Order: sequence, then C-alpha cells, then structure tokens
Amino acid sequence: MTLPHLRSVYRLAVRLVGDVTAAEDLTQETYLKAMQAFPSLRDRARVGPWLFQILSRLVVDRHRGSAHEVPLDESVDLDRFSLYDRIAEEDPFPYSEKLHDGFLAQFQDEDVRRALLSIPEVYRVPLVLVYTEEMSYRELAELLACPLGTVMSRLHRGRKAVERALWECAHRRGWVVEWTP
Amino acid sequence: MKRLSCEEAIRELVAYLDGALSDEPLNALEAHLQVCLECCDRLKFSRQLDSVIKARLAEGTLPDGIEDRVRARLSALAIGGMAEP
Repeated sequence: MTLPHLRSVYRLAVRLVGDVTAAEDLTQETYLKAMQAFPSLRDRARVGPWLFQILSRLVVDRHRGSAHEVPLDESVDLDRFSLYDRIAEEDPFPYSEKLHDGFLAQFQDEDVRRALLSIPEVYRVPLVLVYTEEMSYRELAELLACPLGTVMSRLHRGRKAVERALWECAHRRGWVVEWTP
Repeated sequence: MKRLSCEEAIRELVAYLDGALSDEPLNALEAHLQVCLECCDRLKFSRQLDSVIKARLAEGTLPDGIEDRVRARLSALAIGGMAEP
C-alpha cells in the first residue's frame, strides 16, 4: 500500500500543531479518514489537496466549540490591534534608525512559532496554508468549505492575532512596558 | 477610480500581500500607495512580518517508521471493516 504525499502531509501537520507526536497522530488520522472516504473522491489527480483538506478540517474540528475559539467581542478588539502602531507609540528602541525592523529582529525562532501556535486553529490553518502552500483565497475557500469573505477575514484576524501574541511576548521579555490586549 | 482613505487602504493590505486583489480594488490601492508614505511603511512592515513567520515555521523531518505505523493502522481498519456484519 503506497501512502501518497506522506512527507507533505506530515510536514503540514507539524506546522499546524507544532508537536511531532501530535503531528504523527494527525497524519495517521488523515490517512484513516482518506481511506474511508476514498470512494467519494471525484478527481483522483487531486489527492494532495484532498489530504490537506482532511488534515485541515481535523485540526479545526478538534477545537470547534471549545474555549479556543475567539468570541465575537474579542474579535472586534482584535481587528483594531496594530503591532505597527504599538511599536511606533511605545518606541521601544529609541536609538534605532529602523524601529520596526529592529523590533521584529529581537524575536527568537521559538517566540514566533509559539505566537503562531497560540492563535485559534480557525485562523492558524488558513494562515499556515497561505504561508507554506501559497494557496489562493479561492483554493482556501474550497478547502475550508467557506465563502471567500470568511477566508479574507480569517486571514486578516489570524495575522492580527499573531501580532498581538508577539506584542505580549515582547511585554513578557520586558522590551515594552504597556500591555493592553 | 475610487480614492481610498488610509483606513480603507489598511484594510486591503493583507489581501494585497496575498496577491488576492485585482482590477479596481488593486488599482485603487496601488494609487493610494503611490501617494501615501505611511501606508507604504505599513505594507513594508506587514511584508516583513510575513517573511519572519514564514522563515521560522516549524520544519518536520519524517520520523522513522511512520509509514509502517500508518500502514498498520490502515490495515487494522481494513480488517476491522471486513469483520463488520
């Protein structure tokens, strides 16, 4: 039995959940679901995107309805958050000629990964798919079974959520004083 | 062509970065960027933030034996499925 796209599916799983054990479990679950649903696959040439779709839905569904989804009130605050503005207002490196670049350069790899993993799956999944698979909004809408407008707002809020998580990280590390979400 | 305010332009920056704008919205944003240094700076920052995240996404090398483990679970499922009445 061959396992097409195993490497790509596993790599995407690691990026979506950040933990190798959980990623292997997800990969196994993805192929189990795929085997069960294989007769319903219309276009056999599109096995790769179909496996990504199964994996993505597993990640989102795992937390659907849990506390990890962002309530509407909070998403309004999230829309207003701007890391660019926060950096400009607080000016954490007053002698830097490139304030914003200097701020981003402070983060270690692990800080950035944690920020991405801290955001709700409903935002993280499309964001990772755009970053790693360079999917178009239309492909994402199909894969996530949602309208284009929803894809756009999830990508927008996902980025805002990462920005806020990075600001929180900067606060923990003492680079910035003010912390209001 | 509609002239965008900064607020309207900022809302379009993510879609612009993702290559999702075309026609009128794309032309309107590019016209705004030609005259607004502040929004150009915001775009540059968002682009750089995207690059930072992309470059630091976790890499996963395939663990030893994963193929065998997936196959074993699939075989177990197939056998279980056949055993069902």
